[in-house]
Parts: sequence; C-alpha cells; structure tokens
Amino acid sequence: MLNLIRIIALFALLSAAISSAQAPLVEERILLTFVPNVQFAPFYVGIEEGFFADAGFDVTLEHLQEPEVLDLVAVGQANFGIVSGEQVILARSRGRDVTYIFEWFQQYPVALVHSDALELSDLEQLRGLKVGIPGRFGASYSGLTTLLSSAGLTETDIEIKEIGFNAAEVLCLGAVDAAMVYANNEPLQIRNLAAAGDCGEISDVEVVTVASQVDLVSNGLIVFRNLLDAAPESAARMAFAFKAALQSAINNPASAYLASLKYVDTLPSDESLVAELEAAAERQSEFLASNPDRAAVAESRAEMLQLLTTQIDAGVLTQFQVLLNTIGLWDADQLGVSDLASWEAMRDTLGLMGFLGDDLGDLSDAFSNEYVLDSGE
Amino acid sequence: MAESDLTPFAQPEKSRAIAHGAILRRLSPLATVLVLILIWHWITDWRLVSRILIPPPADVLDSLAAALADGTLAKHSTTTLGEMMWGLLFGVSIGLAIGYAIAKAPLLEYILSPIIVAFQSTPIVAYAPLLIIIFGTGPSSKVVTTAVIVFFPTLVNTIVGIRGVSPRLRDLMLSLNAGRWQIFRNLELPSALPVILAGLKTSTTLAVIGAVVGEFVGSGSGLGVLVISARSQYDTPLVYVTVFTMTAIALSLYSLVALLEWRVLLWQRRSA
Repeated sequence: MLNLIRIIALFALLSAAISSAQAPLVEERILLTFVPNVQFAPFYVGIEEGFFADAGFDVTLEHLQEPEVLDLVAVGQANFGIVSGEQVILARSRGRDVTYIFEWFQQYPVALVHSDALELSDLEQLRGLKVGIPGRFGASYSGLTTLLSSAGLTETDIEIKEIGFNAAEVLCLGAVDAAMVYANNEPLQIRNLAAAGDCGEISDVEVVTVASQVDLVSNGLIVFRNLLDAAPESAARMAFAFKAALQSAINNPASAYLASLKYVDTLPSDESLVAELEAAAERQSEFLASNPDRAAVAESRAEMLQLLTTQIDAGVLTQFQVLLNTIGLWDADQLGVSDLASWEAMRDTLGLMGFLGDDLGDLSDAFSNEYVLDSGE
Repeated sequence: MAESDLTPFAQPEKSRAIAHGAILRRLSPLATVLVLILIWHWITDWRLVSRILIPPPADVLDSLAAALADGTLAKHSTTTLGEMMWGLLFGVSIGLAIGYAIAKAPLLEYILSPIIVAFQSTPIVAYAPLLIIIFGTGPSSKVVTTAVIVFFPTLVNTIVGIRGVSPRLRDLMLSLNAGRWQIFRNLELPSALPVILAGLKTSTTLAVIGAVVGEFVGSGSGLGVLVISARSQYDTPLVYVTVFTMTAIALSLYSLVALLEWRVLLWQRRSA
C-alpha cells in the first residue's frame, strides 16, 4: 500500500515536472566511463533530441575511470553516473552509498573470443590454455571467473596473461589462445583484421558470451544517495529521460549514429555515409510511425545494415556495426529493469574472486527498479 | 662586539648553537612530514573531506601493516624495483653511449635529434600500449618503458657534461701526447661527472614512472597493478600505501645516487 502511495506521489511529481516545461533547466553532469564512443549513443541522443531537456535537465557528459565515477557520485560531486553492477556491490561493501536505478546493458557485454580453429565445444576445454585479460580487475576478470566457474574450472586450471586492452593484437600474434573482450566491439575488429589477412593464422573467431552462461548485472545508472532521499522525483525524471533516449537509439540506430558524430571525433563521417544514414534515419522514422513490435524493429535494424553494406565500404561501417551489436545488448522488453538473481550471481562471482571477503555485501539497498517503473511503465 | 672581546665561555656556546642549527636542519624534513600528517589527520577527523576520498592516516597505517604482513607489498615492490633496475641499466647505458657520441660528433646530433626529440615529446603513456604489443606482456615491455623514460635526461646531461670540458685542458693533454682513453678517463669523465650524476638523479625518479606506466597498461604484478587492483576494489587506504611506497622507492634511489655523487665527487670538494 505504501509503495502504491509512493508510486502515485512520484508519478504526480513527475507529471508536474514534465508539464512545467518553462522552468529553467537544472544543470546535471552525468559521469561516464571510457572515452567518447558510439557506444554512448543514448546519451548523445538524449541531449541532441531533447529528452533530457524535456525532463528539465541541461546535461553535460564527462568521462572518467569507473572507480572515480563511483566515488564522485558517492560523495555527491555528481548526482548521476554510469558504472557496472559489480562496481556497485564492491563499492557498497567499502562504504560507498550509491543506488543503481536503471540497468542500461541488459546483457553482460563481456565474452571469450578464440580462433575458430581451436574448436572449443565445451568451456571445460579451456583447461591448460592461455587466456588474455586486461588485468585482474573489472568486468573482463569477473566475466572470466564466471565462465570458468560455469565450466567447473578455476583460475589455476588455465594460464592467465595480463595483456591490457590489446586483445585483438595479442590474439592475432598468437601470444594467447583466447582472450576476454567486449562482445560488441573486439570480435568485429578481429574479424576485420582476419579478413584483411592481418591476424596471423586466424581466419575467423568464435565468441562465447558470459551472458550465454550466466545472467550477471551489467552497466547502469547510479544516483547519489542524498538526491534519492531529498528529491526522488529528480532521479525518476532522469531515469525516464534516459529510458526514452535509449529506446530512441534502439529504434533508430542511423539517427543515433548521426547524433554521436558531434561527440565522437573519431567516428567516420564521410559525406556519402552521412547522406545514406540520413536517408536510413528518415525511412526508419516512417517505419516506426506504424508502431512495430520489438521483433519487427530488430528486423528493420538488420535490414538497415544490409542495405548500407551495399552502399558503403565495410571499413567505414565498422562503428555503425559496433552500435548495432551494442543495441543487441541494450534491447529488452522492459528497459532499465534489473532482477535480483543477476545481482546475486554477480555477488557470488565477486565472492569467488575473493574481493568481498567474508562479508558478501547486502543487496537490498544496492539497486531499485522503483524509479524506472515509476518513470513510465 | 668584536670577535676578540668574546669571553672564553662564548666559543663553546657558539659551537653548540651551530650544532643545534645542524640538527634542526636535519630534522626539518621529518618535522614537515609530521606536520603534514597532523593536518591530514585533522582534515579527516573533522570530516572536511569525505573519507571515501581521503582516508584517515590510521587507516592507511593499518593497511600498510596488513600489506607488509601478508607479503603483498613486498611482492609487488620487488617486481617494480626489478623492472626499474633493468630499465635504468639499459636506458642509462644507452643514454651515456649515444650522449658521448653526439657530444664528440655534432653531425650525429643533426641526424639523431629529430627521432630523440620526437620520442621524448610524446607522452610515454600514449605509446606504452604499443610497447606492450611489440615487446610482449611480460616484464620486458616494462623494462623498455623505463629505459625509454630514463634515456633522455642521461643523454642530455652527458652531452652537456662532455661539451663542458675545458678546451684548454684538452689541448694541454693532447700536447702531452695523451691518448683518447687517457683523455676520457682523466679529463672528460671527471669533468662531466657532476652533470651526468645530476642526470642520473633525475633518471632514478623517472624510472618509477616508466615502470608503473608499463604496469598500468598490462601486467600481472607490480605497484602499478596494485594501485589498479586496490582502486577497483575501492580500497583507498591501500592505494595510498602503494603511492607512498612508490615515493619511498624513488626517494631511496635518489638518495643512493646523491650518496654516490657525494663519494665520487669528494675530490672536487677537496680541491675547491
């Protein structure tokens, strides 16, 4: 009952906030990881297509390392940030009070990649092989631990090589048998290298995603605890705006790519590519007007790529393909919602890695679906 | 009051004052550190800054004790020290050899300087990933990053040192039929040594940066790895312990070279 009252109150506040479009925009920094990249397209769409402004925010984006994002949100130097779920569990176990309110990546983005010549029919066959990871930290390490655990293996059964973020080169040079990578990006790059004959003896690769074995909570939006206490409607409006921007990027990747051009200097932006993408974006908008279901939209994305492939050089299209692959990791029936089982699986993985010690952490305050459900379901 | 007017008791008092002054000077760095620790303690005690960002000194001490007890700090420090030493050995040796060659043959400077300056002006963190790919993921790539970073100060100081040798003394030695080796051993090396050792002092402090940058890019052990690992587990006190360890290593090596300088240049001070 209390929950229902809270939802109604929040929804009323949210409606009031959205209707007062004339109110001055509130400046908000959203802290992101990595560097400007097409994989952050929903944020660029959110700014360029006015989703954040409609929710009352003047958003600026900043890129930092993941622990710095989390700490700055934990101490309130920024209200919002994007980090992975594992960081939330680890950080909370060390006294950082942040709450995860929106699961952006519905599938854990990390995967194991290996030459198809290796013919791994079972992960158990990894025993004795050299596996490259950036280092013993972060999502790749968690992903590897989960994969090994799902096959009844431990770290001691394989030879781990710390290779930094150089998986493509190191795998092609043959220094490792397999490597942990981001499923949406590196396999594509390795395949391109292999197709050009620049990947040693590798002609193609196989990809085993962590998500195919275990559902682990992944990247999402975190909020400063005091903001949730003092102004929950603000968090709900941000979740609502991000959800709308994310849905827009999922529905119209051509438009999302075009929005990203302003933010990602290294994105290919040839005149012919931009012209074709503009045409594709327009066609997609017309298609979306017919209210297609999720499967039909997914099919339309595949058709979009197919058509563009006949018009644009494959090398120029790589980043667009990365965006499409990433959309596959975002798309879900219920955007933004994470479930307890995926949090528990992640907590267990961190326990296996020995990062949490005896205290495996309390998940009850780590995440909430309240704000994403309030914001539009 | 004139010096001759001093009572017989004034002289020991003056000596005591000088001795006290010397002791105070020696203790002043320690006092500075203690004051800084006190300020740090107050900042965290009064919660002027979140303990998430700056942990109390007591927490850092506890973390240091734990890292020493379980061998973590020793293991990672040994790795970094090893990489630094090999990097210093290669980088300084190559810097000395090329520096000497350039000082003696200015044409070489025109040929090599574009490459050397290009390497030096590019932040090592930008091309360190390439060194990992080229030299492998093992310690050799960290030794190379260290060697690259310590090479330049050695090179420049060697050139300056050798070129600073008095031409009149060189002419004198030549007039006495001294050979190349004799000129090098008895004139060039002693004359250039103060400048070369000054370069070595800079190199030793830079060596920590080279090794840690290499470890940041990809490694299984070392203080750079320990920082990333502690940071990714939100163990801020351990991050502080690791950073202080890096500082301690750099200061120790710097002091060793300063000691070496003091010993080697004893003759110079005596003649002065």
